[in-house]
Amino acid sequence: MNPLHRFVRPLRALFGKGKLERDMAEEMRFHLEQRAAERAADGLSPEEARHAAERRFGNLASLQEQARADRGWRWLENLLLDLRLGVRSLAKSPGFTFIAILTLGLGIGANTSMFSLVNGIMLKPLPYADADRLQHVYRVTAQQPEGGHSPADFLDLRKAREPYGDFAVFASDRVSLSDPGKPAELAFAGRSSANLFALLGVVPQLGRNFLPDEDSPGRSQVVILSQRTWRNRYAAAPDIIGRRLRIDGEWHEVVGVLPASFNDWRHLGNVDFFRPFTFTPEFSRDRKATNLQLFGRPAPGVTPAAAAAFVAGFGERLVRAHPAEHAGSSWRAVSMQATAAGDSGGIILPLLIGLSGFVLLIACSNLANLLLARTMTRAREFAVRAAIGATRLQLLRPLLVEAGLLSLAGGALAVLVAYGFRNWAALRSTGDNGEFVWFEVDWSVMGWAFGASLFTAAAFGLAPALFALRLNLNDTLKSGARGSTGGRGQQRFRQLLIVGQFALSMVLLTAAALFIRGLHDLHHRRAGWQSARLVTGGVALPSGTYGDAEKVHAFQRLAVERLASLPGVETVALGRATPFFHWTDVRKFHVAGRTRPAPGQEPAAMVNSISPDFLAAFEMRLIAGRAFGEGDRATAPRVYLIGQATARAWFGAEDPVGRRLAQIAEGREIFTGEIVGVVADFQSVDPDPNPVVHHVYQPLAQEATRGFEIAVRAAPGIAPSTLVSAIRDTFAALDPDLPVRRLQPADRNIDRALYQLGVLRDMLGAFGGLGLALASLGIYGVIARTTAQRSGEFAIRLALGAGRRDITRLVFGPGLRQALAGALLGLIGSYGATQAIASAFPGIHTNNPAVLAVTTLILVIVALLACWLPARRAGRIDAIAALRAE
Amino acid sequence: MAKKEDLLQGTLDMLVLRVLSRGELHGWGITLKLEQLSKSALQVDEGSLYPALYRMEEKGWIEAEWRTTENNRRAKYYSLTRAGRKQLEVATESWDRMSAIIALVMQSA
Repeated sequence: MNPLHRFVRPLRALFGKGKLERDMAEEMRFHLEQRAAERAADGLSPEEARHAAERRFGNLASLQEQARADRGWRWLENLLLDLRLGVRSLAKSPGFTFIAILTLGLGIGANTSMFSLVNGIMLKPLPYADADRLQHVYRVTAQQPEGGHSPADFLDLRKAREPYGDFAVFASDRVSLSDPGKPAELAFAGRSSANLFALLGVVPQLGRNFLPDEDSPGRSQVVILSQRTWRNRYAAAPDIIGRRLRIDGEWHEVVGVLPASFNDWRHLGNVDFFRPFTFTPEFSRDRKATNLQLFGRPAPGVTPAAAAAFVAGFGERLVRAHPAEHAGSSWRAVSMQATAAGDSGGIILPLLIGLSGFVLLIACSNLANLLLARTMTRAREFAVRAAIGATRLQLLRPLLVEAGLLSLAGGALAVLVAYGFRNWAALRSTGDNGEFVWFEVDWSVMGWAFGASLFTAAAFGLAPALFALRLNLNDTLKSGARGSTGGRGQQRFRQLLIVGQFALSMVLLTAAALFIRGLHDLHHRRAGWQSARLVTGGVALPSGTYGDAEKVHAFQRLAVERLASLPGVETVALGRATPFFHWTDVRKFHVAGRTRPAPGQEPAAMVNSISPDFLAAFEMRLIAGRAFGEGDRATAPRVYLIGQATARAWFGAEDPVGRRLAQIAEGREIFTGEIVGVVADFQSVDPDPNPVVHHVYQPLAQEATRGFEIAVRAAPGIAPSTLVSAIRDTFAALDPDLPVRRLQPADRNIDRALYQLGVLRDMLGAFGGLGLALASLGIYGVIARTTAQRSGEFAIRLALGAGRRDITRLVFGPGLRQALAGALLGLIGSYGATQAIASAFPGIHTNNPAVLAVTTLILVIVALLACWLPARRAGRIDAIAALRAE
Repeated sequence: MAKKEDLLQGTLDMLVLRVLSRGELHGWGITLKLEQLSKSALQVDEGSLYPALYRMEEKGWIEAEWRTTENNRRAKYYSLTRAGRKQLEVATESWDRMSAIIALVMQSA
């Protein structure tokens, strides 16, 4: 018999049973007839002969059964039978089945969704060739643990790269992109060394890569588009190669289009298009810049450790060769893949997985409890089956099959939940360029859902299985028709499950509540400024058209003038940054007349360049001196405003107004200016780990600032949103090539900036709610069932004179005790969870006893309710009816 | 009728293979042949024969085919496969060895 035949035959035995059965029957009938004929030849009547033959043959049916057992896949047949029985028995109690599948689906679904998040952010490799070999090189300084590099350093590194492999640099910028006959748009553009895509191992889908010398002067007016830009802006035009477009007012030729796989939002996928740097002699000499991101690909055979050592060694050589720029800095190479998750991802993702695991555990213990109760009511059936000789396996099989069926259905529902989560997350995460962030539900996610189902089946199927194995046959059979509540051991186990559930949901609930509260506080923090009547938006003047400082200042003066004359506008201000978010312009200062600290040790502050009405527009308070005025022009003496904390730190009790401040750049004092006022401190809505932030303000008119924010304050009674189109028209009239980014009411901009944290908040909230709902469902179910089973006992108690209140107390007391014990245990656990959140988001205050107290109260009230409902019913039972039912 | 002997445990397969090695037979035929060869000393129990046949078919030692008998009845004919032939050799050899050992012990004790 060939192997295929060998495999097919049992299958035929299983599914084509009809024909085989007929064959078997016919064969045996033939035998019987022959035997009967033989006996008839011995002289028996035909009737007697047939009987004799049949006696001899024995039980035909059992013979066939045995023959079938010998040939088919007995176990598979039995499994199908068990499955059929399992489905039937689950269908008989649809309420239980529904709750079980829903519980599981939500539990596994929460967990699977979180896994899809981790998969999408951390596990999936970046879309480059041999992505795990690539490295990101940081320049580490006291201020910047993940700092960038200068062109001169990069060129030096490139000359010395031999033992390492190759390096490429990249920098991003906001630029204006315009095509003939179309309005200008703000685009997120990248510049790179010509070898970037070759280094990443990315081949353009259309056209070609940058040529090796296209980052040299005169050759660099070429652009490679991202797949997204090509599709969205150019409708995937096949003749895009060779077309010319204007970037910041300069003509560029399209030479390539990147493949779709490059659109990975974790890395360079959000860049709209790439141009080569232009390594002019001047640019190549620049050793001060810190905006270049440096990527490296170690040559084959170079270990990551050796590569990192080379990079660190090169950093040390730079410090010795150029101490003025590099004193106190060092270089560090990390795997590029590790940078994909972002800063807080490293803590927050495991936290989410862990918390969603809690939801799953609650779901599991809930089901364990439900199944246990269900099994106990079938104790008699089990006892009878064991008594007539069922093996352990035969006893357990229906239980295991039921658990398996439930968890499979739960797993299928979980995949649906994960899909729903993906769509929700995509909706919530619409990026600046209108692109969704997808967490693909791929095979590894499916695998996780399946694995989680198996885990849950094992976890919640175990309890009833142990119960069935330990069943005391004698007692169970003797106890007659009365339902069993299980022995002491089972009782304790079920109580333990309840305690555990409440502990876990306490952790979930407090973690969620503290985070929600903390984020809410942060989000609505208007510490030192107001945003209610403001419209804000960003402008970036292209350096091509606005080359010299005077042009920038003229544009800004004109813009303020025109905007202020719009109807409904109260105040207009421009500034490099708003107080809503972190300021990123960090500079070093020195108080004139004091001894200079060592280079690199000068005090640093966040700097903002602002127009005269800036403080008024944001309702920021001036504490001392004066604000900037129209007189503080480029030609006037330099002036500064400083923050309150800065004044305290730098001047102590002295009056800072009138003192002079020197700005330090490249290790030298570049100019000094007079402090004319002190501004009250403020806090942005960004979670900021530093409690004290130093602020210094300088007039916008005294330093050409091409990228700035506009803030237009509406007059009282005017909705800021009604001003948006007039503001846009004003800018279009000033310069049709100039886009205004995110022009909308300030509060909406603030919401938008915090959306990631909002997503996190919603997820934690969902976990907390889900955990509580499942736990209360669990305690309710257990108490209700116990009550139903003990109705006979309660009836006797009532008959003997117990009050209804006594009965209620009998049920209510233990349930509540378990819930409280769980909540107490959970408080300890929630301390750990909030510590983890606090370390991921240092700016969010999670230390909030009031919230903790309220959360505990909510949990206790829910527990009270879940216990009280069935307890009340216990007190109301009709003693006579219950006793009669016995 | 001579006294019937019970079949020694595990020898039915070997006997059936041996009978089939002379040519194909249906189940009834195998019964007859065994009785005839043993001079009616062996009585084959159908309750053992058919499961044994199915088992051996499963193992690939014998194969079956539906054909008509000389009296024009449909019957299932079994025949040895190559694996069955090999199995018969193995079984015969081990049977010979075993019976020799048993005989040795029984005579010398």
